[in-house]
Amino acid sequence: MNRIRHSRSAGRFLPLAALAAGILATTLVSTGTASDGRWAGSRSPAVHRIPLKDTADQKIIPTEKNPPPFSTRFTCAPCHVYESIATGRHFNAFSPTAAAGRPGEPWVWLDERTGTQIPISPRTWPGMFNPADLGLSAWDFAVLFGRHLPGGGPAEPEESLETPGSRWGVSGKAEINCLACHNAAKTQDHSEWARQMMRENFRWAGTAAAGFGEVGGMASRLKGTWDPADGPNPDDTEWAVVPTVKYDPALFDSKFQAFFDLAYPPKDRSCLACHSNAPAGSRKFDFDEDVHTAAGLSCTACHRNDITHDIIRGYEGEAADNPGLVSSDFTCRACHLGEENKKGLGGSGRMGAPYPYHKGIPEVHFERLSCTVCHSGPLPADEPARIRTARANRLGIFGKADWSTDLPVVVEPVYRRDTNGKLAPHRMMWPAFWGELEGGTIKPLRPEAVLSSAGETLFPERAVIRVLTALRGMSERPGDPVLVIDGKYFEQNLDGGLTVHPVSGEATPAEWHFAAVENGKVKPYWPEFDPAEAEAAAEPEGAIQRVLEALAAMAGAPGTPAITYKNTQYRLVEGALEKTERKDPTADESSWLWIKDESRLPMLTEEERNAAATLPGSEHRLTESQVVSVLKSLAGGKAKNPVYISGGKLFRLDEKGALEAAEHQATAPVAWPMAHQVRPARQSLGWNGCTDCHSATSDFFFTRVESRGPLLTAKSESAAGVSFMDLSNPYHRLFGLSYLGRPYFKIVLAFAAFLIGAVLLAALVQAVGRISGLIEKRK
Amino acid sequence: MTAFIIIAIASLAGALFFRSEQRFRAAHPKFQAGAYLKWLGSRIKGFFSASFFKRCVSLWDGWVGARYPGWLKWIFFAFAAAFLYLAASGLIYAVFIRRGMFGLPLLAHVMGGGVFALGLAFIMLFRARAYGFTPQEAAPFEAFACPIFKNIPKEMVVKALFWIFAVLGFVQIVTALFSMLPIISFNTQVTLIMIHRYSALGLVLTAIVFFDAAVLGRPASPRT
Repeated sequence: MNRIRHSRSAGRFLPLAALAAGILATTLVSTGTASDGRWAGSRSPAVHRIPLKDTADQKIIPTEKNPPPFSTRFTCAPCHVYESIATGRHFNAFSPTAAAGRPGEPWVWLDERTGTQIPISPRTWPGMFNPADLGLSAWDFAVLFGRHLPGGGPAEPEESLETPGSRWGVSGKAEINCLACHNAAKTQDHSEWARQMMRENFRWAGTAAAGFGEVGGMASRLKGTWDPADGPNPDDTEWAVVPTVKYDPALFDSKFQAFFDLAYPPKDRSCLACHSNAPAGSRKFDFDEDVHTAAGLSCTACHRNDITHDIIRGYEGEAADNPGLVSSDFTCRACHLGEENKKGLGGSGRMGAPYPYHKGIPEVHFERLSCTVCHSGPLPADEPARIRTARANRLGIFGKADWSTDLPVVVEPVYRRDTNGKLAPHRMMWPAFWGELEGGTIKPLRPEAVLSSAGETLFPERAVIRVLTALRGMSERPGDPVLVIDGKYFEQNLDGGLTVHPVSGEATPAEWHFAAVENGKVKPYWPEFDPAEAEAAAEPEGAIQRVLEALAAMAGAPGTPAITYKNTQYRLVEGALEKTERKDPTADESSWLWIKDESRLPMLTEEERNAAATLPGSEHRLTESQVVSVLKSLAGGKAKNPVYISGGKLFRLDEKGALEAAEHQATAPVAWPMAHQVRPARQSLGWNGCTDCHSATSDFFFTRVESRGPLLTAKSESAAGVSFMDLSNPYHRLFGLSYLGRPYFKIVLAFAAFLIGAVLLAALVQAVGRISGLIEKRK
Repeated sequence: MTAFIIIAIASLAGALFFRSEQRFRAAHPKFQAGAYLKWLGSRIKGFFSASFFKRCVSLWDGWVGARYPGWLKWIFFAFAAAFLYLAASGLIYAVFIRRGMFGLPLLAHVMGGGVFALGLAFIMLFRARAYGFTPQEAAPFEAFACPIFKNIPKEMVVKALFWIFAVLGFVQIVTALFSMLPIISFNTQVTLIMIHRYSALGLVLTAIVFFDAAVLGRPASPRT
């Protein structure tokens, strides 16, 4: 399966390989180790000095011309059963027989330009889209998410799953990247993996990421007919460069065996390449580790696996979800409460894990709450915190470009029912996408289809950037051109977008305008002047002329640039500044204009200005007016009943063509339970008493959960946290209020108990006195 | 919990049967199941008759009025009402609702617990002396010369029931109080709640027998 044609003769190194395999096999049989999963008992790790094999199971000679990338399937195969590993949790998402288990983090199909963020999972998790339902093939999936895939699975599909339009023949398949987790060498580079996957160098990605060699070229630029057997194209060494490997000869011995610096179990840094997360906007300096990590535990101390790589997720009930799991002893409860019959004998759980006494906490909490409610994630606040995760926000890919994305907005903690019915802290996001409403169901539209239909509507900053680019060509430029709106200025950034800053510097006109910024100070292009005073106006009018000259040179200018200033209109006529008085300028008329056929057009439309003024620097990507425009353009195209989903609402055009928000089940947020970061016991909920949660204004119950989405709108949903718990809001307000009197209540109970106890004691003394005859004797 | 449910149902049914059977035998020396059921049906039917409420009021005025004069009557009323709610809510949720008590009934149960505790303290202060044993009654070996209950004077049974009720009430209050304090470990707290539960059952059984023996058993007497 998955054999890739190769140019080299198959039997060239067969005798040598067979000999090596034979020796290894003999050794393994005698020690009973990895090949059959049994452990002979040695805790000393095996040194892996082994030959690299290619996808034709041929030993790689690194010094030969155009050596192929190495194949984990064949390099690791003599000792480790690849097919068994391929059933592991990281690789089996697309397998119909794999246990889905409780929901986990989805992949998010993100297209910021169209405001698309679709949670996807091949597993049957509620609210998440199956890739097949969206028309995503294994190829699409590998291209979209290869950056954080560990190889195997969808990146190495069976031939029956290779769909038309895919380019597996060119890219090769990304085999399970064993070294992504097991390479202890600091040269293991996840960023390199991501780059190679984005270049569609699937076959080469593992070799490049491991640091075994340099990989050049881009399979994505090659023709679909290219085959590795064709080799490099000597006629194109600039653009469509064939992927090649240049191995580091220092890594090989004289027998061309490479030393693998392996980590078993994997190091945390390997896990964190794909499983990092951090509060949005936080500083690295402020970030505290999970308490278990800080105590010296590694990820794999709990998330263990055997040769099947069916990694323990560690939630309660996992064994029922996945009967084949090697152990269910690594939940919070299993480690901290110890074995059921020992009840934390000696005051500790597994390996001396602190045994929780949970003093004063009623039993109901343990029946209805997961441990993580009180112990994991950020403490509840007036609103859930934004979190950025490696897979959703493309973290951990380092380079000159910033690969990370602001979207999707994921928030935590939102307390919801887990699959076992207990409350658990969840991460949550709201799907956002364009779609067609058909018979009550919404079929999502692919972002490229929306883009082609919407045209410039989704690129409002382009009009601003065109003007800024033109102004950059101005002679005697006083600084970098910026757009000033509402006390903020917007400058072009390296990504072709706009970056927003607050205005500081000279006072600027209230209305929107272009200006220059130098050393962070905004300066108008011309100072205040009176156009009627010719001598004083000469210099400012010179500046206006230079601005107009720069704008006139703008590519694709829709007309002649003009500027109005204090009832005076300036424009260029045959290279000279024409100055005309405007007696009745309307109040809302723009100062920066295009004049086309004597009609005056604002240099930026209201939609462009709104988008420019409100979207940069925010978590939003679309304005309502943009959505209206796109819905109209989609309706005018092939889409039937086009809608846009964002922020927990469905948006569509009403009969008058205005935007209306509606409810629909497809708008519901998607949530998945979280377990990290675990906080120390002293920072757990309840440590300070019941009122950590039970008060009339408790953040635990009454945090405001705002539905978040790419659309800037006031129509988004907002709900109290308690509504996600399937609990009654008024009751918990009342219950919380009762805690105002709880201390007094305890005093009353203690007082009553004291009185009753005193009377009982007196009666007892009297009874004993009577029975013993002492009282009668005294009388 | 299953054991508690079985014990609760069996003991309550047993107590009710035992007391009703005693009353049946008072009028019908020979026990016959059919006659007993018919008699029981007629007594239950009587609960829904127009005169039942009047009889209850009369009983209240007679028994309570004689023992709790003036404003003490209202303390006893609050105590009795709280006890009835606590017993009903506690047993219904413990026996029939697998989830246990929750929501407003739980809130009311907690509040009722406070009223019960204060009420019991007042009763102990104002009425405990009335249930004190006389020197003659304090000769237990004579009184308990078996079979139990048959040789014990009713007055002494009522007094004993009062003190059993007081002790169990005290246990109820203490277990509730301590389970709310952050000084008891979870495992101890579970034990406390179990004690609270069984003590409550004992309290209800004691109250049933006390009501039958002291309130319904004979005409009101100002000194018992």
